[in-house]
Amino acid sequence: MRKQFRDTVIDLASADDSIVMILGDVSVYLFKKFQDQHPERFHNMGICENTLVSVGAGMSAQGFNPFVHTITPFVTERSYEQIKLDMCYNQFGGNIVSCGASFDYAWDGATHHCHTDLAILRLLPDMEVIQPGSDRELDSLIRSQYANGKPTYFRLSDYPHDIKLDAEFGKAVVLKDVGSQITVMTAGPILGNVMQAIADLDVNLVYFHTIKPIDSDVINRFKGSKILVVHDAFGLHEALCSVTGLSLSLHGLPDEFLSWYGKLDNIRGKIGLDANSIRAYIQNNS
Amino acid sequence: MNQDCKLIRQDILTVSHKSGQGHIPTCFSVVELLYGIYNIIRHKPDDPQWQDRDIFILSKGHASLAHYCVLAKYGYFPIDRVTSFGAFMSDFGCHADRLKIPGIEASTGSLGHGIGLAVGMALAFQTKKSDRRVFTIIGDGESNEGSVWEAVMVGVNLQLRNLTIFYDDNQSHARGLQINNAAGKFRAFGCEVSEIDGHDLLAIEDACRKQTDKVHVVIAKTIKGGGCSTTANNQYEWHRKSPTAEELQQLMRELDEETI
Repeated sequence: MRKQFRDTVIDLASADDSIVMILGDVSVYLFKKFQDQHPERFHNMGICENTLVSVGAGMSAQGFNPFVHTITPFVTERSYEQIKLDMCYNQFGGNIVSCGASFDYAWDGATHHCHTDLAILRLLPDMEVIQPGSDRELDSLIRSQYANGKPTYFRLSDYPHDIKLDAEFGKAVVLKDVGSQITVMTAGPILGNVMQAIADLDVNLVYFHTIKPIDSDVINRFKGSKILVVHDAFGLHEALCSVTGLSLSLHGLPDEFLSWYGKLDNIRGKIGLDANSIRAYIQNNS
Repeated sequence: MNQDCKLIRQDILTVSHKSGQGHIPTCFSVVELLYGIYNIIRHKPDDPQWQDRDIFILSKGHASLAHYCVLAKYGYFPIDRVTSFGAFMSDFGCHADRLKIPGIEASTGSLGHGIGLAVGMALAFQTKKSDRRVFTIIGDGESNEGSVWEAVMVGVNLQLRNLTIFYDDNQSHARGLQINNAAGKFRAFGCEVSEIDGHDLLAIEDACRKQTDKVHVVIAKTIKGGGCSTTANNQYEWHRKSPTAEELQQLMRELDEETI
């Protein structure tokens, strides 16, 4: 997904002088072509995430559209107040683009995990929160949102799903509507596991790439059914809970640090977010 | 004391008395700095969004009342509007909101944020090859925040010669984490450093005019509460206090007599 991020931004920057890259010593080689083409608009600013965000906000105040990019927990959890005040409160918008979603860096342990980013950022007024599940979704959503002057968060993953979907900002995608009394709702790359899990099950499936604003119209369409939320992060469940009158339950994360190392699939398997476990959860709750 | 700066201090006291709000000592330490900076930077009070203006950001945002009173003195708005300071639905909060007050370039208050925004704006002007400049005041207490030093490092690394940082050395830091030899620290970080009396208007204006090839840091020695001996000598008591009618009279008298 990072390569798609690079390709999309390089394409946009060829026609848009307002784009600036602010990197936290991450993806530096990946963006070499951007650096070669626009050296004055490329900054590997160093490992100082608070200041990356503040500087991005300051550049936004003077007409630029910054992409601030580094590893998820450091640019979101560590820099939450900079996003809250320098971007949101001051209305100096900009794009925060993270890499290393949830447990992408399982082997690095809990210091490099991040599962709260979507949940905490959606609480900030005027913030747009996007969890693209594929390169195609990412490309489309960056193009539609990057220059709208708002603070926008794009959460990249190294493990996208391979389902070809059109993405329109703020619109959920109904992937399966069989009139079932059970509706599975999910978001982001874990859609791949969920699709596998429900392949032959008689349930509805709704997919979200935009966590904020959440598509309440589509949610209300399935209000009469029992909603099973499957997600490998916090944020979607809380967003769904903003719609009143739903009957929903969450199959998500335990209240502990998942510091078992290994790979993403190992972590997902241990906490029941592999396809078989998701299937069992849905069957047990149907 | 410069006559306008005395009038600004009178405004600060009057508004603080009427509103029941205010950080008087921290406001008094930056009156000359604010007044001097606005005397030099390019700005138009009748056109606050003028596209060629220089930028000033009060990073130590709790001195907002001084900032309001200086902006009023320069004609951004009548001082009468400021008397609603801190009141429900007032435009003039105890920390400024840039969306409500003409002349305020950034909403500050949480310490260690304004300077990062200033670095970003200076980088924006450098990228555009604009000659617009950015000025900010940071507090010495504020400089306990790591984000201040991050921002300085980034500004130096980017060679932002259009950025001037005034360091209000009013000894606030002495209460807690000590910042000894601030000038040496900023020099070690790669800044051009000037040291001035922060109540000397000519020195402040000279420091504003000075441009070097580096980020310019001006260590401004100030007296917290300077202008009245009561506020200068009782900083803890007056840190966040509004004067009663009797205290207001006493403070006005001290101000007039220039007791400090």
